Formats: sequence, structure tokens, C-alpha cells
Amino acid sequence: MTNAQPTPITTPPKGKPKIGGMARKEERSFYLFILPWIIGFLLFDAGAIIASFGISFTNWSALSAPAYVGTLNYSRLIADQVFYKAMGNSLYYGLGSVGLGTIVSFLLALLLNQNVWGMSLFRTIFYLPSVVSGIAVAILWIMILHQDFGLINSFLAWFGIKGPGWLVQPQWAMPSLILMSLWSAGGSMVIYLAGLQSVPTHLYEAAEIDGADTFQKFWTVTVPMMSPVILYNLIVGFIASIQGFVTVYVMTNGGPANATLVYGLYIYRTAFINFQMGYASALAWVLLVVIILITVVQFIVARYWVYYEGDLKS
Amino acid sequence: MGKHEEELARELQRRGMSRRDVLRIGLRMGLGAASMGMLLAACGKTASTEPTKQADAGGAAADPTSESIFDITAGDTGAWPKSAIAEPGDKIEISVGHTWDAVFFERQLQFDKLFMQRHPNITVKAENTPWGEYRQKYTAAAAGNAMPDILYTQFSWAQETIRSGLYIALDDYIAKEKDFNLADFTKPSLVSYQYDGKLWGIPYDEGPGNLYYNKDLFDAAGEAYPDDSWDLEKLKAVAIKLTKGEGPNKIFGLGELPSPGDSLMAPNYLFPFGAQYLSEPKEDECLINKPEAVTAMEWWEELRTKGAIPSPADLQNVAWPAFQFGKIAMTLQGSWATPPIQAGSKFKWDIAKWPKGPKAHTTFSAGSAYMITRDSKHTDAAWLYMNEYLSTAGQTYMWASTGRGSPSRLSAWPAYLGSKFAPAGAKNVEEAMSTGIGTHDILDQPTGPRVTQAAGPIWDLVVAGQKSVKDALNDVFAAVDPIIAENRK
Repeated sequence: MTNAQPTPITTPPKGKPKIGGMARKEERSFYLFILPWIIGFLLFDAGAIIASFGISFTNWSALSAPAYVGTLNYSRLIADQVFYKAMGNSLYYGLGSVGLGTIVSFLLALLLNQNVWGMSLFRTIFYLPSVVSGIAVAILWIMILHQDFGLINSFLAWFGIKGPGWLVQPQWAMPSLILMSLWSAGGSMVIYLAGLQSVPTHLYEAAEIDGADTFQKFWTVTVPMMSPVILYNLIVGFIASIQGFVTVYVMTNGGPANATLVYGLYIYRTAFINFQMGYASALAWVLLVVIILITVVQFIVARYWVYYEGDLKS
Repeated sequence: MGKHEEELARELQRRGMSRRDVLRIGLRMGLGAASMGMLLAACGKTASTEPTKQADAGGAAADPTSESIFDITAGDTGAWPKSAIAEPGDKIEISVGHTWDAVFFERQLQFDKLFMQRHPNITVKAENTPWGEYRQKYTAAAAGNAMPDILYTQFSWAQETIRSGLYIALDDYIAKEKDFNLADFTKPSLVSYQYDGKLWGIPYDEGPGNLYYNKDLFDAAGEAYPDDSWDLEKLKAVAIKLTKGEGPNKIFGLGELPSPGDSLMAPNYLFPFGAQYLSEPKEDECLINKPEAVTAMEWWEELRTKGAIPSPADLQNVAWPAFQFGKIAMTLQGSWATPPIQAGSKFKWDIAKWPKGPKAHTTFSAGSAYMITRDSKHTDAAWLYMNEYLSTAGQTYMWASTGRGSPSRLSAWPAYLGSKFAPAGAKNVEEAMSTGIGTHDILDQPTGPRVTQAAGPIWDLVVAGQKSVKDALNDVFAAVDPIIAENRK
């Protein structure tokens, strides 16, 4: 019989853990890869971002020297009805386009995750619209949404329905832009597709053994395993949507009756049409705060529905 | 690319439109993506992508001025003023910011070429920027203290930029020039460029809104052309009568209707009925919801309900600018619209006075000027250029002989009336100014852009048929009144 000696408990070394040569090489590669972005950010963005914060406390038309006005630009927001309109429009567009886009792109990814002949071609076809330039897409959708000759209203006419003036009637303009945003669903579809292909097949096999039908497998395996990807697309998509500008500027320029005046366009008008750079900067910083708040809420809510493989759910 | 698109591409090239302008036109026309791509490519070759051109003083083979529809020597009277300011001893370069259409920029280069021949030590660098991008570009330049020596300035932003200190006062230079003769300028032309008892810019034009009409469409309908006997009732009746067809082939009797989103609205659409938009000239009271204004705007709206002007949906069907493409029988335009119409229209046209109303006979009068900027390093040379450019000889060469019209100097008007490029009805332009029909009572206070931005979206609801004229004008009042409160201080 031997006396088994307890294994001595060693205290982990303090400070940064030592990394091997391969890890160091990987670290160097990481910094090399992100270096161009960092240089670009420091040269072209960082200064402007910091300056805009300072400018937001001034009255500055860009024509003469800025005058310090304290928090006047921020307090002015409270009484500015157009600010609320633009913010409301952006949230409407963000919720509509991201909500609809998530459903459509996820369903597309599920369809394109089947093992059938010619799938690569289908995937390419569905992704292709995402790489078409925004301007070309705008032109195409003007056609599709045209009141008299558009594809949608022609289709509705087959059923005796007189379609609305999609882009010229205030109540239909924003839904039209949301509908149009589906055009770029291919981008998030590819991310969903990559996520779907990384769901371990043994989970489906185990579910099948347990007697799960197709919907149950989808609901108890696919959705939980895909939830981090869905969260990522929701956050990135919402941030992009709420900052939307180009399509709206080209297609409706905020009209009719400010129905599509999104926040980005309002900032642009304030800065480069009205030349109120201080107020425009304050608007931009408020947008940043709103985006941060919404993102934080998304992360908090995510605790209740996002599943990370390997994590223990409380 | 179809024949129509080819023609349009050539036209857009001539006008030097930006890609953004082309896109808007294409979208309104409902052009296909392929056609639009071709148009954008065509536009890429225009002056808008190469905004800086320099006239070739030596007359080299690749002479940009030779493309002009105007002969370089035509309109050169040779009566250039002798300046009290000395010529520069060394070779220097001055830069001038313009925002001409491509047709007229060629004339600009011709002037610069001749100027440089007269002043061999001065090189003129002309920068031509599309209208839609002009203010943004030069506001950024002002923020960076990098403005050209001389800058085009429109009436609507003149006061704001003058008060911001962008320009130098010109009174000292004018006082030195015994031939300058400030009294030769029409009174309305100077209004926008005076501040604090000084003159900060020299206007080159000040012209009235005129009724341009398509004679072919009038002939086809057997309708007599507009003349001095016309009143606004006649205008309305004929506009309705000339409206014909459906869809992309529809012809509209009139091109536009009043909108409180338009800073030039009041003289043509409200004053004739005894109504006003804002109290002029201080613009410190909003009068748009007074009964007489509501009645006037309701009167005009009848043309919309009769389909005599393009609706927003129609604007997606018809080629734009619709008058040049023969889709509009009558349109209200300043005389500066003449060269593009001259170059682009394939039909007979002319201009008449804007018709009289029941209470008054008025039309808008507006113009633009050139200023020497505070960033100029060669103010004397800049003045030498301005003194010739805006002299009687200069205005004759640039605006009178080319038919563009409405020179700010009275002495240049005879050359305009005699120009082969001026429309047959050019005398109507001169008479509108000389008889006081043309009025500068337009929104030119610094609050103007914010007023029109606030009012325009409200009026969209009237255009969409979702709000009554009266309710909309009450809303306009509520939106505009706080903005113009600063004019009451």
C-alpha cells in the first residue's frame, strides 16, 4: 500500500500568461491585419469624431468662427419636432427592415441549406442582389414600385386591386423602403448559411432518436444553435438601418411630407443645407447614444434567448 | 440605348450635370437600369467630373472654347473699361468659382481666353461646379480658408455669407473707377448684396420670371399665343385646354404650381391676388394663412385637380426637364433658362410676360452676383477681372449677346434685345423689369431656407390630396412663425 500524496496545488503565475511562439505569430498577424483599418481610422475618422463632439457645443455655420453655446444644441432637440419625426422614421425603418430581413434571410438560408443538385448556383443567384450597387437597386425599385406601370401594382391589378402610389403617398413611402430593403437579404443569408452548416449533425441525430419531427428539430436544435448568429445579424443590421441614408436620399429625399426623413438625412440637411454644424453634430452624438442604448438592450434581452454552446444557462 | 436616351445623354453632357442630377432625372423618367448606366457613364465625361478648366489663351488645337454654340468674337464690342488699378508686374493666377450649365461654361471659357489675351500677366482658372453641389463645396472651402479669389453668389445666400465675413467690400475699388457708374445697375439687382452701408458683390443679372411656352403645342390646339391681354384666368383656362393624353405621352398645360416650399412663390402666385407669404422685406410676419392667401392657393390648386400639371407620379413618367422634352405647354422660368432651352428644345418656343392677376401684375425678380473673397491673395487682379466681366462690355459679351438675358446693367439691355439667341419675345423680359412687374420681394433673408424646408413637407400633404389648402396653410404658419421670430429682433 502506498501512501498517495495529494497533488500539490500550484498557484497560477501572476500577470500575463506566457504564450508560445505560434501564438505570438498569430498575435502579430492579428495586429498586421487590423493595422490598415486602425491607420485609416486614426487618419480620417478619429479626429473628425472628436472634433464633432466639440462642435456640438458651438453655433457654427462653417462660414465664420464657431461660438460656444454650451448645451444649447442638446436642449434645442427637445423642442424640435422634426428631430422626433426623423428618429421615429429611423426606428420604424430599422425595426421593419431588420425584422422582415431577419425572417426572410433566415428562411432563405434554410432553403439553401438543402442537399440538392445545383445548390451552389441557387446560392449565387440569391446572394447576387447584395453586391449590386445601391444606385442601380434604387432605379430598379423605382420601376417595381411605380404607381402606374410598376411590377407590384401590375400584379395587384390581376386581382382587381388598385395598388397605391408606393413612393408618392406619405403612408406608403416607408413601407416601400422597408420592402425594398429585402433586396439585400442575401448578405445576412450567407452568414446564416455558414451558421447552419456548423450546427453539429449529431444534435439532429439525437433529436431524431428522441422522436422529434422536422419542426421540433428546427425549434429545439436549429434555432438555439443559430441564436448567436441571429443576435449578431440583429445588432449589425439595426445599426446599419438606423444610419441609413443613400437609398432614401436617392429615392425620396425624405419625402413626401417627411414620411421617409430618416435621421441620417436630417443630419445631412442640418449640416450641409442649413449649415448648422453645431446642431448637426449634436444630432449625430444623440444618434450614437441611442444606438448604444438599443445595442445594450439587445444584449440584455439576449441573455434570455441566445444560447452559446458550452455556456451553462442559469 | 434607345434614340431617346442617346439624345438625353448628349443633352446632359452639354449641361455638365453631375451624376446625382442625372440620377434624379433618370428616376423621374423611369429609365431602365441599362439606360441609366449609359447616362451615368456619359455624364462622367462632363465638366462636373473635371470642374476646373482653363481657357487656352494661346488658341491651341484642343481648344475647349471651340465647342461652344457661340462664336468667340461675337458680342465682343471692344469697349472694355480702363481701370485705375495697375496690372500685376509678375505673372499671377486668379481662380473663379462658377456654377454654369455646360452650354454657358463654354462661353465663360471664351471670355476668360479673351481676358487673358488682354491681361497677359493674369491667368484665370475657372472652376465650374454643378449647382446642387456648389454651396457645400465652397462652404467647406470657406471653413478651410481656401476659397477662390472670386466667387459666384446667389441672392438667396448672399446676406448670410456677407454677414459671415466671406467677402471684401468693393466700395473702395468702385470709387477709384471713374467709368464704373453704379447708377447703371437696375435697383432690384443690388438689393441682395448691400449690407452695413457697403456693397459686397457686383450683380451680373436680375431678371423676372417669364412664361415660356411651346408654340408647337399651341399651334396643334389652335390656341393663340400668350400676350399682354392675358390674365391668370386665361392662363388657367388655356392650361386646362392644352392638357391632353395619358401616361408617358401626356401633355401638361402648365409645368408647376405654387408651393410654400419655394422661396420665389409669392410674386407670381400670391401678390396678383392681394395676398402675401411673409411680410417683405423684413420677413418678420407670416401671412400665408390669411383669407386672401388661402383663396389664392385654392384657386391655383384647381389646376392640380384638373390634371393640368404633373403629379408626383406623373413626374416618374415624363421626361424631365419636361418643357425641353415637349411635355409641358407653359412653364414659369427666369430668363437664365434660355440657353439650355435654346440648345435642347426641338420645337418652336417663345416667352411672354407672366399674366396679370385680379389685384396686381407681378412676377418674381431674382439674380446673382460675383464677389471677391476674403481668401483672395490677388484682390487687385480679381478686381481687374470683375471690372471687365461685369462692365457693360462684359455683360454684353456674356449675358446679352448670348440671349441669356436680364443683365444687371441697363446699358447692356439693348444688346440682349438685339441678340440672335434671344427669344422673339425678349422685349417682354425688358418690359417686366422696366415697368415694375418684376419684384425682388422674395424670401432672401437668412431664414429663407429653413422656412421653405419647414413648409415644403406640409404642402406635400396637399399635393397628395390628404390635407385641405386651408389646414395646410395654418400648419405652415405654425411651423414658419417660430423660424422668422429671429427677424423680429
